[in-house]
Amino acid sequence: MPADCPENSRSTNPPNGVFIVVPAFNEASAIAVVLHELRAVYPNVVVVDDGSSDATFDVARSTGAYVLRHAINCGQGAALQTGIEFALLRGARYIVTFDADGQHRVEDIAVLLAPLLDGRCDIALGSRFLGSSVGLQPGRKRMLQAAVLFTRVVNRVKLTDAHNGLRAFSRRAAQKINLRLDRMAHATELIDQIRGSGLPFEEVPVQIRYTAYSLRKGQSARGAIRIVLHYLLGRVIQ
Amino acid sequence: MMGFETIAVLVAEQVPFPSAPAPTNRLFQIIALAVVGGLIVLSLVAMFRGWATRREGLAWTVVWLCTGLALARPDLTTLVAQALGIRRGADLVLYCAVIVMLIGFFMVYARLRRLRRDLTVLTRYLAIKDATAGRQANLPHAGPKAEG
Repeated sequence: MPADCPENSRSTNPPNGVFIVVPAFNEASAIAVVLHELRAVYPNVVVVDDGSSDATFDVARSTGAYVLRHAINCGQGAALQTGIEFALLRGARYIVTFDADGQHRVEDIAVLLAPLLDGRCDIALGSRFLGSSVGLQPGRKRMLQAAVLFTRVVNRVKLTDAHNGLRAFSRRAAQKINLRLDRMAHATELIDQIRGSGLPFEEVPVQIRYTAYSLRKGQSARGAIRIVLHYLLGRVIQ
Repeated sequence: MMGFETIAVLVAEQVPFPSAPAPTNRLFQIIALAVVGGLIVLSLVAMFRGWATRREGLAWTVVWLCTGLALARPDLTTLVAQALGIRRGADLVLYCAVIVMLIGFFMVYARLRRLRRDLTVLTRYLAIKDATAGRQANLPHAGPKAEG
């Protein structure tokens, strides 16, 4: 895929310089719909195929998005950092991170960008608990609430939703982000970095749509424990 | 000509310890001390030739010296154990071995994480370079993984 700016999207006047970063791992069956919806509004969509063994790369490329490929699977945190660095190189003014599994709504991007465009903050974090969730199961809700509590105790940041992949950064904020935890613990590391940067942030209500597919791809309780261990070890081992 | 291991046993025996039983068979001591002597030499060589850092070289030398002392005079471990509130010298050796192994595991784990991080940086560099150059090579797949 040439790195020229894709031109064939039907833009509805999104703000200039918005780049949407979509990390993807084995998402061939779901990513086409997501990318077509995104590209209908935002021309600059950056997909980072994180070493998928299915056709994610080819499917993403067929949509006209920028597609970067990790030669090996490095994890979602690494893919996000790759996408953010690429977007910055392409002159992004605002960077939005967006999941590839269809959980997020394209219309929420404008809601996330609003406080950045108004100059109220540099980072907007989506919150399903300020907004709404469709199909959120009680077990997953408890796990997410435990993550919020963990964030309050360990990161000392008061958020209502600690692990929402829908976020927006100004260029200044994105330049300060350097995710070093490659896998899912990056979400907690990111909160540390946001706090450390001293940049203003806001939580914005968004809607998360859970489907059988996205629930299958999500974290189990065992995975959550592994994330906590990974994060805590990452704080010890620099 | 006496070897290092024989000298170590003889020197260690000069340390008075009234309850030390007279050894009847020193075969294991001699073999183990020979191995430990080799490891001490290897640690020092690694340190001076720059294969290991000065801190690593010194740490391993101290570990092997303590091991050699415990092998040459097992009764000394009982003396130290009782001073520390542990009943038997063998228990002290076991505890120390476990602690040293855990430290070793942690150091290896930390090194693996750093290597993994370097690999990620390299992977990212290649991905961005390929995309910027407008090409995507047919790269090998890493195979299915649990996390994306």
